[in-house]
Amino acid sequence: MRLFAFLACFLLFHALYSQESNYQSLIINKSLIQDANAVVRLNETTININSINELVVTKKRVVTVLNELGNRNVNAMEWYDDSEKITNIQAVVYDYLGKEINKYKQKDFEDVSAVSGGTLYSDSRVQYLNYTPVQYPYTIEFISETKTKNTGYIPSFYFLDGFQVSAEKCKYTINYSGSDLKPIIKEYSFNTLNISKKEIDNSIVYEAINIPAINQEILSPDFKSIAPKVLPRLVNFHLEGYVGKIETWNDVGLWMHSNLIQGRDELTESTKSKLHSLVKGIKDDLEKAKIVYQYVQNNTRYISLQVGIGGMQPISAIEVDRVKYGDCKGLSNYTKALLNEVGVIAYYTHVESGSEKNSFETDFPTLAAGDHVILAIPYNDKYYWIDCTSQIHPFGFVGDFTDDRKVLVIKPDGGELVNTEAYVNETNYQSTKAKYTISENNSIKAEVVIKTEGIQYDHHFNLENNNSDEINKYYTATWSNINNLNIENYSFKNDKENIVFEENIIVSAQNYATKSGDRILFSVNPFNKNEYIPKRYRNRTLPLKIDRGFVDEDEYVIELPKNYRIEAIPNAENIESEFGSYMVSFEVDDLKSFIVYKKKLLIKEGEYSKEKYNAYRNFRKKIAQIDNSKIVLLNKSTN
Amino acid sequence: MHHFKIRLVFLLFFVITFYANSQDYKFGKVSKEELEEKYNIKDSSSVATVLYRNYNVYYDYMESTGFRVITEVHERIKIYSKEGFDYATVNQLLYRDNSSSEKEVLRGLKATTYNLEGGKIVESKLKSSETFKEEVSDYYFEEKFTMPNVKEGSVIEYKYIHESPFSYNIDEIDLQYDIPIKKQIIQVEIPEYYSFNPRVKGYLNTSPKKSKSSGKINFVNKTRSGSVYSNTSVSYQANTLDFITNISTFDMSDVSALKEEPYVNNMNNYRGAVKYELQYIKYPYSLVENYTTTWEKVAKTIYDSPNFGNQISQTRYFKDVLPDVVEGASTDIKKVYAIFNYVQQYMNWNGNYGKYTDLGVKSAFKEQTGNVADINLMLVSMLKEIGVTSYPVLISTRDNGVPMFPTREGFNYVIASAKINNQIILLDATNKFSEPNLLPQRDLNWFGRLIGDNGESVQIPLAVNYLSTENVIIQTNLLSDGSLEGKMRNTYDKYNAYSFRNNNNAISENDYLEKLENKYNQMEISDYTVTNKKTLGKPISESFSFKVDSQADIIGDKIYFSPAIFKAITKNPFTLESRNFPIDFIYPWTDKILILIKLPEGYKVESTPEPLSLALPDSMGAFTYKITSNSTSMNVLISSSMNRSIISPTNYEALKEFFRLMVEKESEKVVLSKI
Repeated sequence: MRLFAFLACFLLFHALYSQESNYQSLIINKSLIQDANAVVRLNETTININSINELVVTKKRVVTVLNELGNRNVNAMEWYDDSEKITNIQAVVYDYLGKEINKYKQKDFEDVSAVSGGTLYSDSRVQYLNYTPVQYPYTIEFISETKTKNTGYIPSFYFLDGFQVSAEKCKYTINYSGSDLKPIIKEYSFNTLNISKKEIDNSIVYEAINIPAINQEILSPDFKSIAPKVLPRLVNFHLEGYVGKIETWNDVGLWMHSNLIQGRDELTESTKSKLHSLVKGIKDDLEKAKIVYQYVQNNTRYISLQVGIGGMQPISAIEVDRVKYGDCKGLSNYTKALLNEVGVIAYYTHVESGSEKNSFETDFPTLAAGDHVILAIPYNDKYYWIDCTSQIHPFGFVGDFTDDRKVLVIKPDGGELVNTEAYVNETNYQSTKAKYTISENNSIKAEVVIKTEGIQYDHHFNLENNNSDEINKYYTATWSNINNLNIENYSFKNDKENIVFEENIIVSAQNYATKSGDRILFSVNPFNKNEYIPKRYRNRTLPLKIDRGFVDEDEYVIELPKNYRIEAIPNAENIESEFGSYMVSFEVDDLKSFIVYKKKLLIKEGEYSKEKYNAYRNFRKKIAQIDNSKIVLLNKSTN
Repeated sequence: MHHFKIRLVFLLFFVITFYANSQDYKFGKVSKEELEEKYNIKDSSSVATVLYRNYNVYYDYMESTGFRVITEVHERIKIYSKEGFDYATVNQLLYRDNSSSEKEVLRGLKATTYNLEGGKIVESKLKSSETFKEEVSDYYFEEKFTMPNVKEGSVIEYKYIHESPFSYNIDEIDLQYDIPIKKQIIQVEIPEYYSFNPRVKGYLNTSPKKSKSSGKINFVNKTRSGSVYSNTSVSYQANTLDFITNISTFDMSDVSALKEEPYVNNMNNYRGAVKYELQYIKYPYSLVENYTTTWEKVAKTIYDSPNFGNQISQTRYFKDVLPDVVEGASTDIKKVYAIFNYVQQYMNWNGNYGKYTDLGVKSAFKEQTGNVADINLMLVSMLKEIGVTSYPVLISTRDNGVPMFPTREGFNYVIASAKINNQIILLDATNKFSEPNLLPQRDLNWFGRLIGDNGESVQIPLAVNYLSTENVIIQTNLLSDGSLEGKMRNTYDKYNAYSFRNNNNAISENDYLEKLENKYNQMEISDYTVTNKKTLGKPISESFSFKVDSQADIIGDKIYFSPAIFKAITKNPFTLESRNFPIDFIYPWTDKILILIKLPEGYKVESTPEPLSLALPDSMGAFTYKITSNSTSMNVLISSSMNRSIISPTNYEALKEFFRLMVEKESEKVVLSKI
């Protein structure tokens, strides 16, 4: 018996000891070091749903940092706010032999606001370890525990933290106190990995070992969409004093409507009468909506301010009306109230924003999705989308911040997933027309007209709000291929009705063309060179993804100097590819004093296998080369 | 038993000529004209303009707290456009001292936005619930608010009082903003007990008007008589104490906005501002307490701090390792290098600046990490220990600005020096790739101050006085399809090597090659070798074979290409018409490029660009460009150099022209034609 006890002790000790020595950096599996700046040796998260209003999350995280760039993967940090408290946080640092160097307690952690200076107020804060490595590799063991009464969000679990970091062992456990608190879980990108799942007695456990790092590459799907992860949600939950039950997106909408939005749309009598006078005589709802949106844009501004029900509840309309600022929630709710007052229906819409198109998952209704609010205005069987945080976007145009993705439209009787407007290929259009003259002294003078639509409009129309210094800087940077650029004049026309932005620019530049003896050489396309070539990878590993397509059309009338004749002119080209098409042509007038240059480039959005990356690169390379082609003129007095 | 209750009452008020124009600067008296104004006539590009600013600093006395510095802030700002909305949000940092639990407070906030609606002025007042307080760090709170009802055309106005118990400090006062200021009155009233010296910096060319006023302290002398056994009677006696208040006033109109320019060390160096620097304090019936007035005194004060001089005299903690470090080093200079190298490799900078140690050298040594002072003062004491003359050098980093006037805050950083054969060597061991006399770029900022053993000090220039070179040799075949194949060898020394190591040593060779390939028109690189990448003090040399497409234009039966091929400079960095501030290249440099091109068969040289030599005035910079060719090959030699790190704005025209001609020359083409 005693021997057994001794053995047990020994085994326990041995197990502990071996675990410690696991923190050695030298014994890491080779496949985990490939492309990695850090190796997550252990990523263990345990979620205890003790009751509908008690959620305790413990984490143990051991990271071996291989080099300087891996420091960002330490993540010895924990967030907290008014309702979530950190009950334990500590860290131990080991050297490459697994020997302990330093220990850190809660007081050694920095405690700062979790939001940037751009936010006026948020209760979100973070405690983090600010550790200066003294050698590489080294290992940090981090332990934390947080406790909250909110169960509306259950922390999700990523088996990989990001690009260029691998994971040796992952364990994600959810313990729940009863079947009504059993979470529903969605798994993502498990395909190539060896991840096990066990379910026993009110507990779900995921485990995985040896997940190699993924290299970050341009023109690829974003990390979120390829990362192996699990997302949990509770059907029955508690959030800031409110309980809820969510089984469908309709339920999410209903909960948000009744707890966050309803009853926050009161307006003062004077505002009401101002509104009615604004839309006086106008019958059409869409016309009314445009006037109200314009009114909001002219009278309010965006200020980030996270208050009310964990930062989820909008400031009331009457408050926004008084101070004339708000965040996305406050401004959307306010605009919705104004629209309703004049009889226009508008729905508060929850969305995940950003230029990467992040959709809400049809089969996974959760409060955790979304970070932004816009409005949906139904009209003639179609939704018009407006973003009330922008003072400049045209009505019904949201640009690449919230385009083409599934969002939650919240109606009084529930929520509905709807796809926002997609700006596809040809919709993102730019036309560049110019008349330009090349002089005998090599200078260029040009009148350029640029028209943009769709997402290209989104990238141009803000120009009109810039001051002259900024506009000059913008053109100097855009046309940096033209040295000594002189912007003589510019004017803009922003057609918000048809969503077309027009730039009229008059420019000149000394020595645009190059003289070589009796010849003058100049690049034929000064104003819209599609010179972009995706960078070369020695070994491309991720699929090719083009988020948004576009069309560029250029047309130039080029006037040549009198005493010169055309010696050489590039060939017309017509390239078709699965990624798009490219066409260029040259015409010379009968008197040989003008050249008409035409170009059209179409790039299609799409996702392709990684093998296609090189083909796409070659396509763009060819285009860049042709767009850079030159015309040679020869002095007429030469033979 | 008695005590004093002193209340400071300033009897003399300064009446500022509020009604100079038709403008009324009293809080709340915003005019229709101000609201109607569409843009600033004097600077039409400004997104907002301060119409009026009053900033009044004075002293107040309370028995419980002593003297306090009171700052009354009043600003009236016109918002012209949406981009100006940022000026409607105000942040005030409030310092707190944890050891004494004293802190700064903000009170008396009053803020109103004015809009013109239907020809009428409409006021929107800030509510107290719309202000927020946030803990920024252990030392600072922040009070924040944003104005209600702000639109294009609004005028906002706010005033508040900032109270500080730290009477020895008056915060630096900006005289210039990023937006224009139409009218400002800045007044600082200091009782004779405090002697401050105003130091004005920037390019505004202004100085305060000084005056004096006599004031009175009214204090009440309260006397208690009687005993615990009898009725207590209290008698009050009013006393007065005459004193003098020194007043300095900046009354300024039309202060231009500070505008960003490229190649500037730190824009804040050029911002107009005034710093009141404490010279001494003499309370009634007390001795004079002297504060710093000269650089010598500043240096001495810093030296006397326990976190400075005392740190240098500690030596025991490294006694055991030092002999090993210098073993085999036969001369002093070799010892300096050995010790520098040891501290540089052994210690790890935690990213914090500081002239005072943070952990203290001893714990820093034990933990192998520390701030700038922990590391560099340790270096000084090790050097001293082996008998080398070594002193700390106080400096102001580039982002701290140029230390124009002696103040303790003027220095924020300390490096080490060693004197060998009467030559001073400067050392900073916080960067893994710096070298003796090759300091990290953040250090290269005008002058430092070397402090001797007793705190005496001398000025030391920090500017780099040697050239950093980049040598490029390319041997290449130009093929008839316009592609190039060949070998390239790059050599980087001094700061070029320093930058190379800082930028590339942490990344894998594969990542570096991808970077290099993409830098040179996406060439394909093979057979890459590099030497001395990790050997500090030696130039780095890398060589490789390359293949790169489309480096020449083939038009008809001719080939056109730039002789500088992919090394050509294609852009002039100087595009601004004129320039107000010095151009800062950080260190002097020279680039030499030699390109040997073998021409494609079947082509002959038809024309080549003419040679060119350029020089900037006073040998500040030079450029030469030469081509020699024969029937099969061509040699191109291009060299450019900038012999000074800082160029005065009076030479801007010449510099801009110099770069323009350089870019133009390098864009010229060789023409080959088919035989």
